[in-house]
Amino acid sequence: MVRSLLIRSFLFCFIFCFNVNAFAASPAPSPYTDAGYYAMESGLTPSERAGREIWFKASAGNDRFHTYVFQQRVGVLIDWYRVLNSGARDQRFATWGLINDPGCCTPGSKNCPAKSSEETFGFDWCPGDEELLKFVGKRGYRDPACDFKDAPVDANDAHGPTDKRQSSCDLAFGTSTGALGLRKFPNPKFDAASWQKLNGKLGSWEGFNRRVSSNEALSDSQVSRLADSSVEPPFLIGMACGACHIAFDPLRPPKDPAHPQWENIRGAIGNQYLRMSEIMVSGMSKNSLEWQTFAHARPGTTDTSAVPNDQVSNAGTINALVNVRQRPMFTDEVVNKWRAVATCKVDKDCWCEKEGKCWLKSTQKEAVHHILKDGSDSIGAREALQRVYINIGSCSEQCWVNHLTDLRQLDPEQRNFGQTPFNIGQCRRDCPNFRAIEDRLGDVFNFLLSREAQATDLYRARGLKNVAELNAQLDKEFGKGKVARGQAVYAENCARCHSSQAAPFQGRDFLQVSADSGLRSDWLGNDQAVAASEIGTSPCRALHSNHMAGHVWQEYASETYRTRPADANLMDRNGGGRGYYRNVSLVNVWAHAPFMHNNSVGPEICGQQDSKNQFYRSPYLDDQGKPLKDAPACMAYDPSVPGRYKLYKASMMDLLNPKSRIPKVTRLDEPIRLDVGPRYWDGERESKLANFMLEIPAGVDAGMLGSLQHKELFRDLVLSKTDSAKLKARLTERVGAKAADEAAAMISEMADEVLRNPKQIISVAGKRLSTLIALYSSCREQVENAGHPFGENLSPEDKQALIAFMATL
Amino acid sequence: MNAWKRGFITLACMCALNACSKKPDIQFAPHAQDYASKTDFAEVEHVFPLSPKQRDTLTPENLARFSQEELDQIYARLTAGPIPNGEFAGTFFFADGGGVKRISEVLGGLKGIAVDIKLKKMERLGEALWKGKVFYKDQKILRNMIRDRDFLKLIIDGDPDTLPKTKINGVDAWLLFPAKLYCGQSLLDARRESVIIDYAFTDDIEGYRERPDFLAGRRGLQVRDEIRMIRPGFYLGRAYMGRVFVLNFTLYNPSIADRDRSSFLQAGKVQEECWSGTQQTTTASAK
Repeated sequence: MVRSLLIRSFLFCFIFCFNVNAFAASPAPSPYTDAGYYAMESGLTPSERAGREIWFKASAGNDRFHTYVFQQRVGVLIDWYRVLNSGARDQRFATWGLINDPGCCTPGSKNCPAKSSEETFGFDWCPGDEELLKFVGKRGYRDPACDFKDAPVDANDAHGPTDKRQSSCDLAFGTSTGALGLRKFPNPKFDAASWQKLNGKLGSWEGFNRRVSSNEALSDSQVSRLADSSVEPPFLIGMACGACHIAFDPLRPPKDPAHPQWENIRGAIGNQYLRMSEIMVSGMSKNSLEWQTFAHARPGTTDTSAVPNDQVSNAGTINALVNVRQRPMFTDEVVNKWRAVATCKVDKDCWCEKEGKCWLKSTQKEAVHHILKDGSDSIGAREALQRVYINIGSCSEQCWVNHLTDLRQLDPEQRNFGQTPFNIGQCRRDCPNFRAIEDRLGDVFNFLLSREAQATDLYRARGLKNVAELNAQLDKEFGKGKVARGQAVYAENCARCHSSQAAPFQGRDFLQVSADSGLRSDWLGNDQAVAASEIGTSPCRALHSNHMAGHVWQEYASETYRTRPADANLMDRNGGGRGYYRNVSLVNVWAHAPFMHNNSVGPEICGQQDSKNQFYRSPYLDDQGKPLKDAPACMAYDPSVPGRYKLYKASMMDLLNPKSRIPKVTRLDEPIRLDVGPRYWDGERESKLANFMLEIPAGVDAGMLGSLQHKELFRDLVLSKTDSAKLKARLTERVGAKAADEAAAMISEMADEVLRNPKQIISVAGKRLSTLIALYSSCREQVENAGHPFGENLSPEDKQALIAFMATL
Repeated sequence: MNAWKRGFITLACMCALNACSKKPDIQFAPHAQDYASKTDFAEVEHVFPLSPKQRDTLTPENLARFSQEELDQIYARLTAGPIPNGEFAGTFFFADGGGVKRISEVLGGLKGIAVDIKLKKMERLGEALWKGKVFYKDQKILRNMIRDRDFLKLIIDGDPDTLPKTKINGVDAWLLFPAKLYCGQSLLDARRESVIIDYAFTDDIEGYRERPDFLAGRRGLQVRDEIRMIRPGFYLGRAYMGRVFVLNFTLYNPSIADRDRSSFLQAGKVQEECWSGTQQTTTASAK
């Protein structure tokens, strides 16, 4: 009996339990997983696969930078909810140019594991969140990077053969935010009760990012609680390389850019729609100095020297990394850097992290790539990758921020008045995240040599069998024999810069495939540095100064770079490495319009414009330098094959007809209002007894403002009243002895006027604008789309032929 | 004898031994005036770590003998330590080469725009008014102790006696200027967090009075302080207005100092409540 009862109980339990389990497992498996991401790694070597995962996911600890350091130390606010809230997932690409992670979903949408934004604190639900969300407000989160599958140690690794790499946990993956390349981490300091009190619910950040007052007469209308650093948000936001470089595959663009699949995505192509500058200042009011001077870079460009500020307004495109294996290298460059060694045989400039893992700093001649627009990253491709991680905030606290310029620091005797050199050895010693990346740079570089960074030829994008079929289509469109004629025109007019083959170029096959690499032999650019004045494009990017001696990236530039002579034909101060552009690759130029380092040649492109997100500023000017009436409209983002091709053709026409280009100068689209001096209480909430408001009017050239060396101006104004001999010496250095007297008199006169009426400083400066620009601007050129006149004198037929041929590259 | 008295007696003894006024024997990285000549803090700490013994020689009085760069190098070698709790006596000072003193020097020639800053007078006035801070760690806030009743009448609405009060050495001190307390970024040294005393958004703190608390806040002087611990019960602080460094201050709680001194000298470590960075140093007990 007892036995029978037991059996029946067991059976009952078994059936019941089975049914419960069956019930629990009954919903269809969620389609929102990382399976698509992992499917795309098939066929990669272990090292390429590891590099890909780092590229897509590793933030290397920069979540602290994007949540605390940038806001509190640098003083610029990011509104992550404005950028990443799940309710606006469908508009994310059109607004910010960010690419939605196919593995993520909006809570409450069909099959999404999260049913409400309350569960995800307003963000998308993404793979791994089933674990991560448990740790919001708690300690103990185990980062998925701890389970990272490392590639075998490279046989040539000086630190091998045993594995001495830094723990992969320090790569810090977190989970996706829903936008590729932006990662989230649970904030252990998050307090749910305070958050609910501030925002009304867990799934909203609206109390956090709303302006404190809606009354525009009050200063609180410019302030949000984003500036209240006592508030701890639910997530810390990190950034991987992919945030800027992941893009839609030109060969397989998505049907709907808001809902891409993994097969539509490539890691290294460069996102030409991204508005990273706007993202980085998304928490600032539109009339702030930060918004107006930084949030005007064209889509697909960003000023990478905005945080390590060099006071040169110089946004540049996110480079397309294509056929890197074929990229030219430069031998015999003098490179002073740390090199991996097994042991230290000398005490000086040698450091061992552990036995068998040491680094020796020495100067040697070496073959290196020239990286960045001006070729300034020039001590090796791996180090260039390493530097980018620092530039996006990894190890920012331990090794970087103390070396940066504080734009508010006007006293040359105080730290952060100017930059000091980042110290690679110190960062390696003091920052585990640095070591975690450094120990795997070979994998990241191998990823950039993999198929993910191979050419995306137009014939393949159009589903054709070979380039001959494309040539036939192009000849049909442009006229018989145009492609062949275009090749001759290219050889004669373009190849001296845009070919990695040796002259003479006539008769060269620019599409020949290398037997060694299986890639096209010709990189279609020789990467040589050419004086910016010879190219004639806006020189501002060539005047980037961060790699000069004594500046923040000194250790990432070769000695050879710094010995480049100054470009005497530039009106701006240069030299010490500055004043050059390298000849870029034109591989797949059909997919990467608009052109030039700042995307200024070709139509302006834009995404969605709504009342909250008006990012496009028409830069077109008329003959009088006034905003052009009836200016061309911006072209809507269109990553489809026909869309890219249309943009390419329009941009080529603009490129080859420089005299027809309408000048572009980006201007302030709202006045900047700056509070000067402390406010003081006068019985009312808002007092202006001891402070005043400076207003820089709308219409002022935004680039000019970003390139103004205001500290030097301030220093000279003070010297004009305290040490006129020193002022004259400084001005002599800038403008020569002849002009120094006149300049000193002008500065003194200006100081007098400012002292009489500080509130009038803008009009006092405005009266002397041209002289002030000559004295204190890092880059005086205002027009953004001038120059590169090569091809201007071609016949209209040859221009068409060139456009036809270059579409095959 | 209560801990406050014991602590002050210890301090007095140290002063008697000349520790208060004599500049302690602390090493600094060499530097000239120009910003570029100043050694990176990571290097300063790596080469010249501060031992507990050296920290023990520092007092509110002798700190005022250092130049601003020396104070900066001391501050950078400290950690935030535990977030303070309770009453801390405060002193503040202007050092050569920094803060208000330097602003005064830089702008000295610009008569008309530069305020004729009477630093000594300011120090005396400040010391008469500001007596320190009371930390309410559980609530993540603090309040400042102000002693001068006549001054209070000028800056508040109504009767000072309606304000919360405490007693310092038997004398009334009013509790004003609330601030929020959190671990955050130092505006001097990014390598580890400091305890931040933030006056920007204080209007939601219970007991906030528009007049005068508004003065320190986002619509007023935009004050933000940061502190790091020299040794238990003793903190070095930096005050900023509108993100511009203004002055140094110290906070001292003799009870805590007395209670935890010997264990600190032995262990060389304290409980860290803020992110203390990743630089491995030979700090403390090793030297």
